[in-house]
Amino acid sequence: MTAWQRIKANLRVVFMAFEIELRQSFTDAFVLFGIIVQPTIVAFMALWMLKDQVANYAIFVVVGSAMTGLWTTLLFQGGNSITGERWTGTLEPLSCAPAPLRAVVSGKLLANITQSLLSLICCYTFISLIMGLPLTIANPGLFAGSIVLTVVAFIAFGLIIGSLFILNPDVQRFQNGLEFVVYIFSGFLFPIALLPMWTTPFSYILTPYWAARALHAASSGTGSDGEIYFCWAMLIVFSILYAIVSKFLFKSILRKAREDATLNMQ
Amino acid sequence: MSAIEVINLQREFQTTIGVFNRKKKIVPAVKGISFEIAGGELFGLLGPNGAGKTTSVKMLTTLLIPTGGTAKILGLDIVNDAEAVRPRIGFIFGGERGLYWRLNATDNLRYFASLYYLDPAVSKKRIPYLLEMVGLTDRADEKVEGYSRGMRQRLHIARALLHDPEVLFLDEPTMGLDPVGARELRQTVRNLQDEKKTILLTTHYMFEADALCQRVAVINKGEIVAMDTPSKLKDSVNDLSVVEIEVFGIPPETVEKIKTLSMVENVSVEDRDQLQLLLVHTSKGAEAIPLLISELNGLKLGKVTTREPTLEDAYVRLVGGE
Amino acid sequence: MIMEKLKLNIKIFFEGAYLSYVGLFRWLSPSTYLATLIFSPLTQMLFFVLIGTYAQGTDKAYFYVIGNALMNAAMSGIYGVTMSIGGDRWDGTLPYLFGAPANRMTVFLGRAFMHILNGMIGVLTGLLWGWLLFHIDYSAANPWALLLTILVTTFSTSGLGLLMGCIGLITRNVMFVNNTVYFVLLVFSGANLDLATLPSWMRIVSNYLPLTRGIASARLIIAGHSLTEVLPLLIEEFGIGLFFALLGYSLFRWFEITAKKRGTLEVF
Repeated sequence: MTAWQRIKANLRVVFMAFEIELRQSFTDAFVLFGIIVQPTIVAFMALWMLKDQVANYAIFVVVGSAMTGLWTTLLFQGGNSITGERWTGTLEPLSCAPAPLRAVVSGKLLANITQSLLSLICCYTFISLIMGLPLTIANPGLFAGSIVLTVVAFIAFGLIIGSLFILNPDVQRFQNGLEFVVYIFSGFLFPIALLPMWTTPFSYILTPYWAARALHAASSGTGSDGEIYFCWAMLIVFSILYAIVSKFLFKSILRKAREDATLNMQ
Repeated sequence: MSAIEVINLQREFQTTIGVFNRKKKIVPAVKGISFEIAGGELFGLLGPNGAGKTTSVKMLTTLLIPTGGTAKILGLDIVNDAEAVRPRIGFIFGGERGLYWRLNATDNLRYFASLYYLDPAVSKKRIPYLLEMVGLTDRADEKVEGYSRGMRQRLHIARALLHDPEVLFLDEPTMGLDPVGARELRQTVRNLQDEKKTILLTTHYMFEADALCQRVAVINKGEIVAMDTPSKLKDSVNDLSVVEIEVFGIPPETVEKIKTLSMVENVSVEDRDQLQLLLVHTSKGAEAIPLLISELNGLKLGKVTTREPTLEDAYVRLVGGE
Repeated sequence: MIMEKLKLNIKIFFEGAYLSYVGLFRWLSPSTYLATLIFSPLTQMLFFVLIGTYAQGTDKAYFYVIGNALMNAAMSGIYGVTMSIGGDRWDGTLPYLFGAPANRMTVFLGRAFMHILNGMIGVLTGLLWGWLLFHIDYSAANPWALLLTILVTTFSTSGLGLLMGCIGLITRNVMFVNNTVYFVLLVFSGANLDLATLPSWMRIVSNYLPLTRGIASARLIIAGHSLTEVLPLLIEEFGIGLFFALLGYSLFRWFEITAKKRGTLEVF
């Protein structure tokens, strides 16, 4: 198989996993909560709290709340994607197939993230129709570009999260806490300038931070084009970095699972 | 070159016992097994539950890393060349897990076809062909959750055959199937053999190994205790004959007592509705009957027969009864 | 005879309390405890306090700290209690419970007891974080009144938890229901919003929910008000908790009776 054929075959795996995951999880109540109920409630609260206090607060809240939905979905769906396959007994055939498990997980994450873009639509509809607030996106072109890069960056981040949770079960215990930690460090609903200075580096290494910054800037019109392009560059750099790191993480989790006999749980 | 070559393969598991005072304990599951399987051979690994069959298969299918020894599949090492091994083998594990229950058969197969890098044009033909072969064509559009155990098992086989592997591992493929389902599945295995695939089959049903396999290795407590063709294994118990006595309500003490008789090698009891079937392995043949009947004095008896030993009896002798 | 019965019931109560706690936290290890009872509530509190201070400035931090610290009562009241009731269903032990001659009420309330303690620890930890991170001043508060407020609030949220736990027995999506209820409380209890600014229909809803008065009372006490001033709030909060607990209990009995009649204990 040539390199090009392999890439094509792996892309097919990604899209196939995407389709399978989408069809399996659309009726999952937990998923629905994460992508619809929770972000809408967060949006409502944030809207009330930030009302008239922040410029363009309505669109700021829409984008910020939707990002909480995006992250929550990624954290729980992505974090549990491998564990789930382990419990259904499908991890064995998956990890024994020639296609890399990373391609499968990427496809699943793509599905989760696509679903959670619904959060954005829900928050948008909720605020514009039900609350009757005017919503305009300052720079639609850059906003659309930022969304595409956000999806890519979140997939790369999800690969890391998913494999870390498998490698170290202790991390998984902090899953619930990590939900809000990333909300805080990424500045989804308030600027990270409110946080102590020493936390800033944590924000900088999180792709959700750059995604939030780009999306807020493009939607509220509070940032220059240059700032948005800079965020894009950071998103790309960190996505590549995450992808490389995840390759090693996956290799070691699969090796470890074969040593510890944990590919299958009953 | 043999298709499968296993040299002193071992696997230990670490388990923790106790909740508060955790202790680690090493449990050996496979204690150094060796065998070779020729290309196109159907080889049986026969043993009771917990003998190490599944662990052995998992090591050979690259799902577990051995803690000792080596094995080669088509000349490729199962640890170092795992990635080269995978596209050339197929496997199924008994039971119903390992499928996507919320999807139908076709989608399950489509998914795995992509994972095995099948060209879409190829899988378009291959999937209906395999569904036909395992008899699922009519129900291919139904979700797997509505399938019977046997149907799921056959879908597993179709999945394992998607990429037309040269070597197949079938771990207890008939486990939990009803007699009709099991018979159909055995027919499927025979068909695979006709296609000259190398097959390693594990089972704890003697008659299954007898009916299907060219050679059988009997595994017990992680070790291979015998390896030969089914007929040779049967020959090994030629010195024995089996006395079967139908008896109504035999007390365990009586069974224990019969076990101690010098001419008796092994005793087992099978429950048959209201009566029990007492199976006695003896070197004395029909001569043993009067003595046995005197031991059963006072119990109501049914038919009493003697017969030639089967592979099952050879197995009982090897693994030592229940 | 009455004394013996009482003694027996007290024993059942504490046994149930202890077992449900151990059952729930059978995976209890220091890191799990830290993660679920300290770390996770802390991050959630930080998030809302920071949004609040972003809008209103750090002067108003006390408002959000108190509200979110009291939310911890809802966390153990709803999730903890539901899990210990739902645990019976997952373990398949519910039929034994239904079959046991023990007083159902005692068994039922025993399940909530430990979570009330746990919730109180959670609220106090939350307030402690507020002092450490946002320098909230509690010097004006009457400590006993504050403690009573916390006790009553954890009781009332556990009452709701008992009801949710019973609903959890008939639905497959316990977590969905729980999460939704928890987030509804987050909005309606006034933990993060000034209730006076909400539309009137929302104020009506929050009037019927636990936590609302508990949070209001805690804010008043920390601002220096006396116990007698908040006592009416606390009595109402207690009443609401009792109402939900009794509703849960009747539902539990009703399930038991229907299940026995239809012979569907296994479905639980």
